[in-house]
Amino acid sequence: MKLASRPALDALCGEYVVGTLRGAARRRFERALREEPLVAQRLRHWQANFTPRYAPMIETRPSPQVWKRLEKTLGFARARTPWFRRGWAIAIAALLVIVVGVQLARQEPDGVLIAKLAGKAATVSAHLSRDGRTLVLHSDRPVIAGPAQSYELWLLTPEGGVMSLAVLGSLEARFEVPERHRGRLRGQLAVSVEPAGGAPGGKPTGPVILVGPIKA
Amino acid sequence: MLDDRAIKTLLLRAAARDEGSAEAFRRLYELSAPLLLGVAQRVLARRELAEEVLHDAFARIWHAAGSFDPLAAQPVAWMTAIVRNRAIDVRSSHDVSRVDSYHATVDEDPEGSLDRLFDWSPAADDGEDRRRAAQWLRDCLSRLGAPERQSLVLAYEHGLSHSELAVHLKKPLGTVKAWVRRGTASLRGCVEARMSGQAR
Repeated sequence: MKLASRPALDALCGEYVVGTLRGAARRRFERALREEPLVAQRLRHWQANFTPRYAPMIETRPSPQVWKRLEKTLGFARARTPWFRRGWAIAIAALLVIVVGVQLARQEPDGVLIAKLAGKAATVSAHLSRDGRTLVLHSDRPVIAGPAQSYELWLLTPEGGVMSLAVLGSLEARFEVPERHRGRLRGQLAVSVEPAGGAPGGKPTGPVILVGPIKA
Repeated sequence: MLDDRAIKTLLLRAAARDEGSAEAFRRLYELSAPLLLGVAQRVLARRELAEEVLHDAFARIWHAAGSFDPLAAQPVAWMTAIVRNRAIDVRSSHDVSRVDSYHATVDEDPEGSLDRLFDWSPAADDGEDRRRAAQWLRDCLSRLGAPERQSLVLAYEHGLSHSELAVHLKKPLGTVKAWVRRGTASLRGCVEARMSGQAR
């Protein structure tokens, strides 16, 4: 029977991600991963949403021997590379560093400052990308929603409308402006505290912790 | 914190198998080896075995770079899974039966260990989806019953098998298996409920 159609698929993915799927059971699962796209797709869901990111405090620097052995194992022996190709490798490596650097720099700040939101918790600046599609929030100090909370960013229009722009886990955020609001961000921005996942009825229910006018 | 975007660029460059690939791979190693060695060492406790695993895992990463799916996978998570699986294999073949000092801290302070061991704060390159997913996972983990949460964290962090968990927690094998099964099932239910709430 195909693994993908078994009701136990999620249980298997869970145990695989946690690491308790062992021996023949794990080998069967890994074979199904290669052969059944649905299994691979389901595992991606688990890996994307159920694997926490390790904290930097677990980092520990390997001894230089590990890389030396790897170079040998993978046949990166530099000594055998003729000098003219080595030159190319260095040039390309330098170029790569520049390309990666430029890409990182390009993603950084952050368009035009359109609003400063002030409140007790923090002061948050909102930048709109030049194409008007991405809104970036920077907080002057780190503020992260509690486990049962989310922050929700609202657009308060001059006509008195209240519309949700985004549900946030922290006041540092980057997200796409919903299409219907692009080019129409006028009025005020406000952040309220809501149940995890955002205000259930689409209108703010919790206290407003930040508010600020959008610059014309 | 490792930047998924920079890692992805290097990984794809390594997969291209041209003049710049070896150098990109060296850079990838430089950036990510400390974290991945940390992951291996949590599972293996012994430094020399952890470095062995690091070597094998990076050889695997080099060979598998071509099959890394840039659209689907988060590269750091992808590499972490390769290292963990290799470490778990070595652990079971070397019979590294030990319950080291980390476990005591996990026992006394399961909540604290979640925040010590894992980083829930959003990374600079996270999309809103991932920020939310991390918050939901953190939230849902803290809602699990203590035994379920402890079993999942111990198994994930140290690569303990069901039977090692049973020994460490001094509970029958069947009980521990049920905790892991219930724990993953409740997590899934909890996170997916938040997802569908979001989609409304």
